[in-house]
Amino acid sequence: MTDTTSAVRMTTGTRIYLYVSLSLVAMLVLIPLVTTALGGFKSLGDLRVNPFGLPSEWVWSNYLDILFGDRYWRQMLNSLFIAIVTVMLTVIVSAMAAFTFAHVKFFGANQLLNYFLIGLMFPAATAILPLFIRIRDLGLLDTYWGVILPQVAFGLGMSILLFRNYFRNLPEELFQAAFVDGCGYIRFFWHISMPLSRPIVSTVSIITFVHSWNSYILPLIMLNTETKYPWPLGIMVYRGEFGTEWQLVLAFITLTILPTVIVFFVAQKHIIAGLTAGAVKS
Amino acid sequence: MASVELRDIRKSYGVLEVIHDVSLSIREGEFIALVGPSGCGKSTLLRMIAGLEEITDGEVLIGGKVVNPLTPRERNIAMVFQSYALYPHMTVAENMGFNLKLSGLSKPEISKRVGEAARMLALTELLDRKPSQLSGGQRQRVAMGRAIVRDPAVFLFDEPLSNLDAKLRVQMRTEIKALHQKVATTSIYVTHDQIEAMTLADRIVVLNGGRIEQVGTPLELYRTPANLFVAGFIGSPAMNVLDGTVDAEDGEPAVRLRDGTAIRIAPERKVRRGQAVRIGLRPEHFVASGEGNAIAGPTRLVEPTGAQTHVLFEFAGEQITAVVDGDHPARHGTLFKAAMDRSQIYVFDRATGAAL
Repeated sequence: MTDTTSAVRMTTGTRIYLYVSLSLVAMLVLIPLVTTALGGFKSLGDLRVNPFGLPSEWVWSNYLDILFGDRYWRQMLNSLFIAIVTVMLTVIVSAMAAFTFAHVKFFGANQLLNYFLIGLMFPAATAILPLFIRIRDLGLLDTYWGVILPQVAFGLGMSILLFRNYFRNLPEELFQAAFVDGCGYIRFFWHISMPLSRPIVSTVSIITFVHSWNSYILPLIMLNTETKYPWPLGIMVYRGEFGTEWQLVLAFITLTILPTVIVFFVAQKHIIAGLTAGAVKS
Repeated sequence: MASVELRDIRKSYGVLEVIHDVSLSIREGEFIALVGPSGCGKSTLLRMIAGLEEITDGEVLIGGKVVNPLTPRERNIAMVFQSYALYPHMTVAENMGFNLKLSGLSKPEISKRVGEAARMLALTELLDRKPSQLSGGQRQRVAMGRAIVRDPAVFLFDEPLSNLDAKLRVQMRTEIKALHQKVATTSIYVTHDQIEAMTLADRIVVLNGGRIEQVGTPLELYRTPANLFVAGFIGSPAMNVLDGTVDAEDGEPAVRLRDGTAIRIAPERKVRRGQAVRIGLRPEHFVASGEGNAIAGPTRLVEPTGAQTHVLFEFAGEQITAVVDGDHPARHGTLFKAAMDRSQIYVFDRATGAAL
């Protein structure tokens, strides 16, 4: 209703202003992306004289060489493995913790929740040294778990917050009906809460996945073996090897960005639905 | 089927006590309605019987056994909620069979019992649908089906018809009554709608401020209300109430109203001369002509409802509602004349509200 009203009231001037400013923002995002993607189709010489325009000759081999080599796919599998396990652990652990905060009253619940939420203020990079020491002490250096576990831990604050708000907005009578039907907390969590929480599971999964996908510092510190590197590290290694051949680096970067962009376009409805869940009465 | 007994039940939230020493015995197979205004504690009481609310003090017995420490499931009760509380991601059949599945019953057994309940409630065609694909009445029937399949000792209904439109409410009321006659399971029904309570219940419990005001059959409550609150709550439209003082008129007991009008009352009323009282006049007890107290005043509003007409007129400085025949010629501004037999005049103590 509000949207319709504001749309009706919008003057032509406001509309022009909106379109111009939104176009500027879109250009700021799109120009680097398009330049990178097009750069991958150019020869080095072409790139030097014509960095922003269309390629004078489309060099498909830049992309094909990467796609037919094993490094790209190996690093993608590493990224996928780390991201998928991180997502699974984050969703399970944060959903269970959030469910407890949403439905179970216990001494110190608020303080404990606040403790988790403090995590929102500290990215992993701020605690990288103690993290390194702890992971080394656990014997997890140069293993995927050395990257996955800190990612899960640092993702819990946001995920718990999102899940808790969602669970609190599920109707109380549903909980009571399930209780009368014979559910305890655990059964209610698995049989009722989780199946009804698909939007928020999608949101948390996507946010966590993208975060893990783009993670650079943690793998850089925790992983030593090149065959275990995920894409962000792989890009840096690739750049080190082909530092002068920018067209290859740009092609590599484009191919690593592509999956994230596709995932975002496919799932953006879920992300927005989850982030705004409970904001208004449905 | 089981009896239910409440013994000195109290409920407090911190220092605020909302249920005060409520005791009640419900026989096996009986249909009891808990009625009262919003905030009177009727839903809280029901939830305490269900085991969804902790009991501060007192005991709840189901089938003669104290159930205070038991979970809702262990109490063997089934509850129908105001908002239906159906699981949105499950089909009708899954909703109805969920508690049986949790009990570990085999699939064929679940399917058989769900099928029987669905036939009873005319839900067979809808078993594969999700709640979002059902109308309000169908959802309510599914909620009842979910309660029936488990064959509970007690049915608990928490304002189950409040979300339905007026026509559907009447239809569902009939269905609930028919269902109770068929399964004869002890039922406790919470409502703020006294018509629902009157039509459905064997006995009605009127609650006010966390206390029981009166327990009785619908007609007992209507005919012999224990106090002014019950008299005002039972009956629609509500009873008219006028302040007065006990006096005598032609040697017979009467109540003199503020404007000096004397209203004769039945001689068996336990009143004393000079006592401050309130008299109650049921709108439907006015007759157009006949023996008894003549009551007249200018008509202020006429509300035809078809078979009956509600007439609002002024009498002794108060607005009085009378229910008369639909063809009564009452018109705005004209003098409305009626009579009421003295045996129909209710008298209450003004200070305590107790019926006299």
